[in-house]
Amino acid sequence: MMKTALLVMVHGSPRPQSNGAMFDVVEMVKARGTFDFVTVGFMECNEPTIPEAAAQCVEAGAGKVIAVPYFLHSGSHVADDLPTLLEEARGNYPDVQWLMGDYLGRDELVADVVAQRVREALV
Amino acid sequence: MTHAILLFSHGSVLCGAGETLFELARRMEARGDAPIVEAGFLNYSEPTFEAAFEKCVARGATQITIAPYFLIAGYFVKVSLPPKIAAMSEKFPDVEVKVAEALKTHEFLADAIVNCANRALEPEKWRDILNTAPKFCRDNPQCPLNGTPQCPLRPVPREG
Repeated sequence: MMKTALLVMVHGSPRPQSNGAMFDVVEMVKARGTFDFVTVGFMECNEPTIPEAAAQCVEAGAGKVIAVPYFLHSGSHVADDLPTLLEEARGNYPDVQWLMGDYLGRDELVADVVAQRVREALV
Repeated sequence: MTHAILLFSHGSVLCGAGETLFELARRMEARGDAPIVEAGFLNYSEPTFEAAFEKCVARGATQITIAPYFLIAGYFVKVSLPPKIAAMSEKFPDVEVKVAEALKTHEFLADAIVNCANRALEPEKWRDILNTAPKFCRDNPQCPLNGTPQCPLRPVPREG
């Protein structure tokens, strides 16, 4: 059975503690067991880098890697930099299928999270 | 009392990058999270935070909840936003203003990651986003497409 890995692609921050909330969300995804392997890769500032995280997925035996941008907007990172990194991964590991998922901000559930934060502010 | 939600975000140099937030505002207003939902930006994109705040007031808002569209409350939420709120509160003293938390951690964000993975495409397909950006062109000199054939308003580089 082919293994599928999830690679969460994150911008990164000069303040590493800023990544805490994201890591908590990724732990929730891991706990669901939807993917055989789950890892995080950073574009800037933090480690592992996205190419390092891609290598981890291959080492874990993934035949397919789905990389999801943990980004709220569709700027040039989502539309250019991240596809380029995944094309490079495909060049390095051509036997693995590399796919890029939608970016976080496009999912309708984000509206539910915003709505809940608004309700909390009104209490 | 009429409640408005003002989605506050950073903004982007890429023309069209703010569309995600306008879509979110339209969806939240349509489903009734508040009778008024507007979006405003700190930098680059329009409308500005101030213009969006004024639009909420012009539409009849007496209570505005500012919802930072940020993963966590960093510098832009903690340092850049408060003086802007103070200035608008001085201008509109009868409007009650509250500030919500950033998105932070939520089970729905884990669900959203799984949903996003289910919509995966070949990496190069995501470059289509760059192709739709010119639809929202405002001749922003910092946009990566400005001065290229893809830019509708400035298809050749500026002189000098």
